[in-house]
Amino acid sequence: MNDMRPLERIVDTDNIKISAKGCQVYYGDTHAIKDVDVQIEDKTVTAFIGPSGCGKSTFLRCLNRMNDTIDICRIEGEILLDGENIYDKKVDPVQLRAKVGMVFQKPNPFPKSIYDNVAYGPRIHGLAKNKADLDVIVEKSLRRGAIWDEVKDRLDAPGTGLSGGQQQRLCIARAVATEPEVLLMDEPCSALDPIATGQVEELIDELRSQYSVVIVTHSMQQAARVSQKTAFFHLGNLVEFGETGQIFTKPEDPRTESYISGKIG
Amino acid sequence: MPVLWIILIVIAIGAVGYVATRARAMASAGNDARHLHSLPSYYGYMAFLFAAAPAFLLLIVWLIAAPLVIEKRVAATLPADVVEQAASQNLLMAEVRRVAVGLDNAVAAGVMDEDLASNARADFTDMTARLKEAGQVITQNVTTPVLRAAQMMREANASSRLWMTIAVIAVAIAGAALAMMRAQRDYRARNVVERGVRWMLVGAASIAILTTVGIVLSLLFNTIEFFRIYPASEFFGSLTWSPSFGGGSELGIWPLLWGTLYISVIALAVAVPIGLFAAIYLSEYASNRVRSVAKPLLEILAGIPTIVYGLFALLTVGPLLLAAFGDGGLGWMQSGTAVMTAGLVMGIMLIPFVSSLSDDIINAVPQAMRDGSYGLGATQSETIRQVVLPAALPGIVGAVLLAASRAIGETMIVVLGAGAAARLSLNPFEAMTTVTAKIVSQLTGDADFASPEALVAFALGMTLFVITLGLNVFALYIVRKYREQYD
Ligand SMILES: Nc1ncnc2c1ncn2[C@@H]1O[C@H](COP(=O)(O)OP(=O)(O)OP(=O)(O)O)[C@@H](O)[C@H]1O
Ligand SMILES: [Mg+2]
Repeated sequence: MNDMRPLERIVDTDNIKISAKGCQVYYGDTHAIKDVDVQIEDKTVTAFIGPSGCGKSTFLRCLNRMNDTIDICRIEGEILLDGENIYDKKVDPVQLRAKVGMVFQKPNPFPKSIYDNVAYGPRIHGLAKNKADLDVIVEKSLRRGAIWDEVKDRLDAPGTGLSGGQQQRLCIARAVATEPEVLLMDEPCSALDPIATGQVEELIDELRSQYSVVIVTHSMQQAARVSQKTAFFHLGNLVEFGETGQIFTKPEDPRTESYISGKIG
Repeated sequence: MPVLWIILIVIAIGAVGYVATRARAMASAGNDARHLHSLPSYYGYMAFLFAAAPAFLLLIVWLIAAPLVIEKRVAATLPADVVEQAASQNLLMAEVRRVAVGLDNAVAAGVMDEDLASNARADFTDMTARLKEAGQVITQNVTTPVLRAAQMMREANASSRLWMTIAVIAVAIAGAALAMMRAQRDYRARNVVERGVRWMLVGAASIAILTTVGIVLSLLFNTIEFFRIYPASEFFGSLTWSPSFGGGSELGIWPLLWGTLYISVIALAVAVPIGLFAAIYLSEYASNRVRSVAKPLLEILAGIPTIVYGLFALLTVGPLLLAAFGDGGLGWMQSGTAVMTAGLVMGIMLIPFVSSLSDDIINAVPQAMRDGSYGLGATQSETIRQVVLPAALPGIVGAVLLAASRAIGETMIVVLGAGAAARLSLNPFEAMTTVTAKIVSQLTGDADFASPEALVAFALGMTLFVITLGLNVFALYIVRKYREQYD
């Protein structure tokens, strides 16, 4: 019985996609993320939950070095992707972001046509051999983003002319078009109706067969529905991390319990 | 009473109205501002508005209309044979005006007393002598009809002044009184002030628009006048520009237009790439420290007067180019003044226009747009080329057009840098000239203003105006068509 545990450990480490160790984030003097250790597994959906302003987006942006674009932001500790520290000098953030895609909290389609929005990533990374190939990628991505039926007749219309929820789904389609290994989604469903939410959740479930997905959400139900692992953040600390089922039924920390039952937030 | 005094009196009436009306409104609400419909000061503003706005309007209309009316009446009294003797009625009326003003000044200087000045039986030879003595400019001996007309004009002016003063002050008082009567607790003074503000703004906008219309119309009339004495087919068809004030000049626009376009194109070819790249560097790559130093430095360029650029062209750039392309070098260039000299210097002048405006526009592209692109694994230059610049394109086109109209309208650099020869040539190292430079040279000098050689300036100006307008319309069309909205 005893020798079962090391075996389990080995399988676990093999399966780890991203692992953060002692991660600290500062915005100028504000200490936004405090000593966070977390291990995100491959082919799983990990949910980040926590009250507004607790640092979910900040931590998510650390995972593909999007915080590099903020001058005052400073990061300490290490974040390993496939065992390699992404903050290492020899890592090219541009290549990293192609592997770790992101859907932002606010929809931000480019001021281009719907087609060009989705084709943007495949074009810069040379993923399509020819126009027909690109057409296939665009259609497939828009279908996965659950927006194909709404836009298939107006692919040349500007992406910014869509409604807020449609724009968000377009951004999801845009992100999956580059075939990232990890997809970070910051509240992807906050502007969506229940039907589109259901479709996006289906997409997340489908992506899980190939990728690792990290989703920030304010909806407990959504976290419970789509994720296998859940991390609860509070005031920049990672309070609790574990199996989703366990977090929602038997939280160990009193803060987790009161947040889930609606007492802090 | 001088106009300044009238204005001050009206303002004083308005101020008194403000205080009184405000107090009355407060009193009607039992001295509790909460019971008033509007804040107490609104009642005061209303009184000021009621007193000042119609009074000033009346003042302006009166000041414009009165001289016209008076002159018409005085002109009607002049005997027909006197008018015939003088070359034209306009010249005669100018003389009448001069005498009237002369009389005024003479009285003010104490050379003449009021009685003599307005004495209908005064002797005109004596009057002429006295006016000359008082240092007034009188071109010829004042004749009796002119003197009588001048005296009548003085009289009419004086009574018009008096009535104007009375009317304006009466209107101001009536307005203030009306406002005071209305100052009750339920009266909506705030809405009235709101409407007043709106009409003031409408007025300002109309003045701006009417001025533009006026400028265009004056250009247009003079242009029509020009085409009446000079054939349009020659103006637009001839390839020679050789005005001679003795007559028989050829006034073809093409050499000038060609010079203008050639120099502008060179200037834009210098300014647009340099300015745009500088803007991209400053807004996307430069650190805050570099930016805070480099941007003001670039903008200093925009503050240099164009005459200084002209000197720079004449004294530095011209000789430098001559050394490289002149007889000592490649042998293409005869003298320092050339299209290339003016174009290069004008390009330098335009760099800050393009860069400063483009920089602001690029900065206005939301960061979320860049994040979206970086998040998909794009590099910085890919992001700029494919996301930032397309989003900023309409603004950048606007900046380039602004630079283009500056280039087309620029005169000083051309005069000093490009020479004065109107020539149709492809060689950029030859001297040429532009439309604006020729407008200046046609209008300075003592040519008869009614000759085609002078009037051609208006036709040139009109052509320039139409070209710039066309450029703007075209740009608007481009911007509309390719606009990629990001909000
Ligand atoms: N660009 C920034 N500059 C300075 N401080 C920032 C910046 N972005 C975030 N912060 C700070 O970092 C903390 C965490 O912010 P973050 O956006 O990560 O919260 P969040 O958990 O995503 O909240 P929400 O659920 O509302 O999206 C906040 O206190 C915020 O004020
Ligand atoms: Mg957030």
